[in-house]
Order: sequence, then C-alpha cells, then structure tokens
Amino acid sequence: MMFPNLFSPLKIGTVEVKNRISFQPHLTNLAVGNLPSERQMYYWGERAKGGAGLIITEELTVHPTDMSYEKLIDVYHAEVIPGFKKITDYVHQYDSKIFAQLNHNGQQGDGSISRLPVWAPSPVPDVLFREVPKAMEPEDIEEVARYFARSAIHVREGGFDGIEIQFGHSSLARQFLSPLTNHRSDEYGGSLENRMRAPLKFISAVRKAVGNDFTLGIRMCADEMIPGGLDLAQVQEICARFEATGLIDFMDLSIATFYNLYLVEGSMHTPLGYTIPLAAGIRERIKLPVFCTGRINDPVMAEKVLASGQADMIGMCRALICDPFLPKKALEGRMDDIRYCIACNQGCIGRIGMNKTLGCVQNPAVGREKEWGEGTLAQAGVKKRVTIVGGGPAGMWAAKTADRRGHAVTLIDRGEALGGQVITAMKGTGRDEFGVIIRNEKNQLDKSGVTVKLGLEATMQQLLTDKPDVVIVATGSVPKKHAVGGADGPAIFNVVQVLNGEAELGERVCLIDYDGHQRATATAEFLANQGKKVDMITSSLFICAELGPTQDLYSSRQRLLQKGVTFTPDIAVMEVGGEAGAKTVKGFNVYSNVWNEWGPYDSLVLVMGQQVDDDLYMSLKGRVPELYRIGDCVSPRKVDMAIWEGHKIGREI
Amino acid sequence: MPNNKLDILVLLRESSDPRPPACVTTRGAAISDRGLRHVPNPADLAALEEALHLKDTLAAQVTVLVIGPERLDDTLRLAFSMGADRGIRFRDHDMEGGDAVADARVLARITKILIPDLVFTGNHMLDRGDEPVPALAAAAAGMPCISAAVSFAPKKEWVEAERKSDRGARQTVTAPYPCTILFEEIRSPRYPSIETVTQSLNVPVEIWNLANLSLPIREIGACGAYLAEADYGAPRPDPVRVVTPDPKLPAFERILSLLSGGIKAREGKLHTLSIDDTAASLVQVFIEEGLIAEGIS
Repeated sequence: MMFPNLFSPLKIGTVEVKNRISFQPHLTNLAVGNLPSERQMYYWGERAKGGAGLIITEELTVHPTDMSYEKLIDVYHAEVIPGFKKITDYVHQYDSKIFAQLNHNGQQGDGSISRLPVWAPSPVPDVLFREVPKAMEPEDIEEVARYFARSAIHVREGGFDGIEIQFGHSSLARQFLSPLTNHRSDEYGGSLENRMRAPLKFISAVRKAVGNDFTLGIRMCADEMIPGGLDLAQVQEICARFEATGLIDFMDLSIATFYNLYLVEGSMHTPLGYTIPLAAGIRERIKLPVFCTGRINDPVMAEKVLASGQADMIGMCRALICDPFLPKKALEGRMDDIRYCIACNQGCIGRIGMNKTLGCVQNPAVGREKEWGEGTLAQAGVKKRVTIVGGGPAGMWAAKTADRRGHAVTLIDRGEALGGQVITAMKGTGRDEFGVIIRNEKNQLDKSGVTVKLGLEATMQQLLTDKPDVVIVATGSVPKKHAVGGADGPAIFNVVQVLNGEAELGERVCLIDYDGHQRATATAEFLANQGKKVDMITSSLFICAELGPTQDLYSSRQRLLQKGVTFTPDIAVMEVGGEAGAKTVKGFNVYSNVWNEWGPYDSLVLVMGQQVDDDLYMSLKGRVPELYRIGDCVSPRKVDMAIWEGHKIGREI
Repeated sequence: MPNNKLDILVLLRESSDPRPPACVTTRGAAISDRGLRHVPNPADLAALEEALHLKDTLAAQVTVLVIGPERLDDTLRLAFSMGADRGIRFRDHDMEGGDAVADARVLARITKILIPDLVFTGNHMLDRGDEPVPALAAAAAGMPCISAAVSFAPKKEWVEAERKSDRGARQTVTAPYPCTILFEEIRSPRYPSIETVTQSLNVPVEIWNLANLSLPIREIGACGAYLAEADYGAPRPDPVRVVTPDPKLPAFERILSLLSGGIKAREGKLHTLSIDDTAASLVQVFIEEGLIAEGIS
C-alpha cells in the first residue's frame, strides 16, 4: 500500500476511525428552514462513499443568539433529530464515522438575522461584523452551557458518533480564552484559570449530557496571529489543561481569527500545509489525537505529516469538496485520477461568504450529489458523433462527460496544448497551481476514448464536410478590442500578450484595471517581479476589489505594495494618448468628476474586459443538426461557469 | 574434542547502538528512529573472540553465521578480518512474522546441517536483553546449553565452563559435545589489522536460504509461530521538529514565518539531460521524497 499511515485506523475516544482522513467542518448553506436537509445527506454521504474515515458536520448553532449565517442548523431544537438520523444512517452505510460540530459564534456574528443582541465575554465588536455585543452575565453563561448540553443530547439521539465543540477561529469559547476579546474582571476573566472557566463549563455540560461512552473533542485555535491574542505557547498550555481534565478525546485545530481570515482558509498563494508547524507544536505537548488541517490537498503530503508524527489525523476540507473520492483513489493507488484542489477559493469560500450555496470550481456536483454525484451519469439513449471545438476547461469537461455517456467525441483545439485560457492564466504570479485544472482533466481525457486534435483550426467548411451529429463550440473569449479611446497602437498591450511574453514593455507601466480580480493583480505582480514600476488605475473603490471573498485581498495588496506598485482608485479612464515611450492616461474621478491625466508611461497594459470569440458559432448556426455553445464563448465569465456548462452539456446531449 | 580439531559455529546478531546520536523519544517510549545505527551485538563479538582464542591456542575451525539482510555482510567481513574461516548469511523472507520458537527451528536446522562441535553466541542482546532463540535451538537440536558462561575450557570428552549462578555465585558445569555456550562479555574482541581487513574483502560469503535447509515453510515465520500478532503497538512518534512560530515575535512576523519558513517552499529545478539521465535523476528524486522504495529500478 502506498500510504500505510494514512490508511491505518485510529481510535478516537470510543470510536475507531478506519483511516486518517477527516472531512473537516465547513459551512455549506444547504440547510433548509434551519433543519438538516436532504442535500446535506447526499453531500456528506458522497464523501463517506469516497472513503473519508471521518466526517465532521458544519457548525450547528446551539443558541438563538447565535445566527451569524442565515442557513445554520438550530441544533437546540429537537426537530433536527429525524433529519440527523437520515444523515447518519446514510453515512454509516459506507463505514465512515460522523461527528457533529456544536458552536456558538459569540461576537463573530450580528443580530440582523436573529434580531437578538449577540453575546460575548466583553463588549468588543468583531472586526468583520462590527456589532457591539452584550457582555454576558453569569446566568447567560449558565444558559449557553445548558443549551450546549441540550444540543448534545439531540446529536447523540440523531445517531452521530461524536461531538466536536468549536473553540477555534470563530467561537464564543475562544473569545473567552483570548485576552483580546475577554476583558472581564469577574471569575470569567483575567487569569488563565478564569478565562478557561466558561469554556470548561461548556465541555463539562456536554460530557455530562452524553455520558462517558461518547466521543467528545474540541477544535482549538492554535494561534490567533494577532497582537494581544493567543499564541502557540499559550494554546499549548490551554490544550494541556483541557487534556488534564480527562473530559475530551481529541484535539482538532484551526488557526487565526476574523482579523486575519485569509489565514483560516489559505488561498493559492499560501504554502501547502502551512499549519503543520502549529499542529506539531500542539502535538508535542499533549497525547490526545491531534488533527492538522490547512492546504493538505494530496495523500503524499498527508502521509508525510503522519509519518513525521506531526499530527494523528489529516483534516481535508477543500480537497474533498473538489474530489470526494480522493481517499478511495489514494487507497487504490490511482493518483492521476485524483482531481486536486487548487485553493482558488472561488467556488467554496467565495460563494459561502456571499450567502450562496457551497460550490467548487472543479466539481459542479457539489451540493447536487443526488442529481450529479457518483454513479448518476447515464448512458446516452442515442450514441452520437460529437465534435467539440476549443480545448479549454469547458471543452475538456464536455468531452469527458459526453465520452463517458458513450458518444464518439472529437475535441479540436487550434493551440498546441489543451487548456485554453487557463494556460495563460497560470502564468500570472503565484497562479501556477491554476494549471492543475488542466492536468486533472487531461489525465481523464488521456484515459478516455476522446479523439484530441491539437494544432488544428476548426473551420465551418470542414465541420460541414465531416457532418458530426453535434457540434459544441467552446472557443472562449479574447481581450476586448477598442476598449477605450486611443487604445490601439504601439506600446499598448492586453493581459494575454503580457503573460505570454508577446509584449515588449518599458520600465514605467500603467495597468488599467477594470477587472478587480487575479487577471489584473497577478499580471501587475508579474510585471513588478520583472523590476518594472507599475501604477494601477481602477474605477473601483480599491485595487483587488473582487478578491475579498476568495481571501486573496489582504495578501495580494500586501505583495503588490511591497513590490512598489501604486494604486489609484475611483478613476474612470476615458482616453489614452501620447507617443510610444510617453503614453498618458486621461480620466476623471467618478465621485468628484475632476479630470486628470497620468503619465508619461513607457507602456500601457489594459485589463478592460473580454469579448466572446463566437465567429465559428455564428457561421455554423442553422447549418448543423445540433449546435451548442458553452463557456466564455457564450459570455466571458470565470472558469467555474465554463466547467459547469461543459459538464452540463455533456450530460444533456 | 572429537576430531582433534574443534569445529565452532559462532552466531553473530546485530543490535541497535545506544550511543549518541541515537536518542530516546521524549516520552521515553522507544529509541528515536533518526540517526539509529546497527552494531554487532557486543556479547556475540566476545563469543567470537573466545572462538578465535581457541583457534589460536588449539586447532579450531571457526564458522560465523548471521541471519538477516544484506547489510550483515559487513558483520561477516569484520569476523573474517578478525580471523574467522567461513561466513554464512542466511536470509529468507518466509521467516517474517516468526516468534522465538519458529526462529529457533531455523537455527537448529542450520546446526544439524553444519554439525559443529560447539555453538557460541552472546548471552544477551545489547538492546533487548535475553534472547531465547539460541537456547531453544539447542533444545530443538538435542544439545546441552550453558548460559551466562564467564570462562570456558574444552576437554577431550567434554567441555567445562564456569557460569554465573544465583546471588553472584559461580558454578562450574560440564557438558558433552556438541554443546551450545552463551557467553557473557568476558573478552574484548581483537582489533583487526589493515592486512586482514583487506583480505576479508575477498573472502566469499555463503548466502543460504530456505532451500538450503529443506525446512517446511509451515514450521517457520508466521506459519510456524505460536504467538499470533494481535496488535502492533508502535510507539506514538514524536513530531519531527519544524520551526514553530516564536511566540515572542509580533503577530505580523509570526504570520510571515508561517507563510514562508514553516515548511520548505516550493521549488523547481530545470535539468537538461539525456532521456536516460533524466529518468535516473527522477528516480533519485522519488527515492529522496520517499515515493518509491530504494532498490526499485
């Protein structure tokens, strides 16, 4: 076996987990009416089917004052039990264990959904939600402990194998533990003993409710990474004290707080396994099984962490959202069948943060496992000859899916390699992992019956001669032509030219950013890395305006500023002018309407939008029996929609 | 002394070297795997020295037996350079999973094939103390066994040995040939000269496996063991040390250390080599990364 440590069982409390892979808790926004839903059953069930030894549910809210997100499950209501039973029965049929996570978010929420004040140890507002909480009175603490106990009973009745209480990055318990948020002077604040008093009350209330023969653990924040907050040394001490109570069976870990959310859910720019030093630090001090989570997206790395004794359990979250069957494939040694997560954060965190249901750029089936999950792909009733033009993500997904349904598929691309615009996108600074999207799909195409023709320009005449039953056009999009007045001429380039090395740029570069996403920022960093002086001008309120939800905003801005890039927001660019070597940018402030001119620059880079490349589609319209277009060829969007539409058309034709 | 020339079989085993840099895991559960060295068991070397002493003073033929993997050839070379006449390394994968009884059957069978007058080995192992295999093998081969011997004298018809008895007493015992003697560390092994070391490199090592013994597979290894492995309690490994962020640093610096120095940064190297060299260097990288085992080609 390739991964002896990863697939060795582990006893956690009273349960034995069959392997060391835990599907970690995360919001799904799939609950309906604050009760567990069928979609959640299939969602978690798919990961159990895929071989994860342990599944920990998303946070379940234990008290009415905690309703930070609209679609949380109210576990303190007994109505949750029937739904829980369905979920746990479904998961147990695949020999996986499932724990429930109980949480009160404290001040890390606001009252706009519950219409109640939020509760916290001290009236310190959270940095994201900014609502001043009510300082909890001693009887409030007792009440929350009672609600924890009541919720725990519902969890046990619901058939779960264990409970994890959230003491991590977003929790009332951490707010009690941390001097940052606990300013109390009574018996619940001040010394470490006092700060631990309320959290211990929660633990012992739950332990009393579920009895000694039930597994109970906590998820600790290993380091708050903020001045005045908890650091690893203090958390080691806290963990040792929690362990000494004998009330808990395992120690799951998280990192950071909402002050530095980009550390909680590290993006593509974060090193793989960035939390391992913290897990190793905790594990040095305590004997309980320690979990390690944070960009461990492949079994080789997981095995290494376990073999090095740096953790006892590997938490995988995004890795299994992206490919629920990663554990099974790793067990069978099918490494190139694994669809590796790229931590782009667009479909998971990016959607959750905007109150949308969970998704994944690379896995359209997330949250739709019942309809699109493993084993739902039916053979086509009529086998057709399908020609797909364009080998980007949309075309590759359409080809893969159609081929699996029994169609005879030909995939044509004019380029020398599959990947489409992703090939260009992965050249942006720090975006190389984006290219894994291509590798994942190419591995599947290589194993399929799809005929791939590269370096071939698909023409209308050829397609009309070949007479395929279905033509799918996935020719993508190109940078917008004539984006702004005067923008056609020497020394003016678009992103594709820059990243592909086709642009000869001078030292002083102005990048006009109407994108706000990686297309602009990764290109600006690409240029700054070459030692160029880059000025960014945008009409948005700030540079990186679209990078908040994916947790790239902080670190992207930090890196750009460190590399000497300047930001000029609020400017609508109306015209560019000047000679090569002395280009100028003219525009006005969208709030004050004051016109200004920037320059001179040696070169300009325009990131001012894309336009569809639909000539082939338009020329074929009405001349082939079945014609579709997908992805950017319909309208220029992001890779998630390209994959979504490619997958969908593959299922439908 | 049946033939005027003693035929002595010496069993050499290896043990873990407890000297630095080997270190005990912080919880004292086991010896840490890193930096661990294997050395020939000192008591076994003392037994070899006794055999070589007999060779020097009387006429004797010394055969050395090791049981285990290829690295033990080095132990045999040491024995050759000290003066041993013949070296045999027995290795068979079917021995895996065996207990002392199953392993003793192998040793007993080797003894029956070689028919030595004397079987010498150490009384205890440096790393795990008493080791019952040689005594059990003696019993299985129907020969007497003198344990904890501190001195030894071969006579014409029998052997005489002084052994440690209870409460520090010394006991002199006799036994007929053939006989197994388990020695305490009574003699310091001799230091081989550079000539004998050089010569030892050319002495052929005999490699034996199960086929040389005609021993049924069901009697050895896991099949022949009386003990069944119910659970293997590997000591919980201590974390391999990584740089944990220094709590004294400000948070901003801690974040930087985590995002940059916590683990090895991703790095790539460009090799411009021929296809064969590229394949060879890739295999090397895979071995270093622990993705494939050494020896696979």
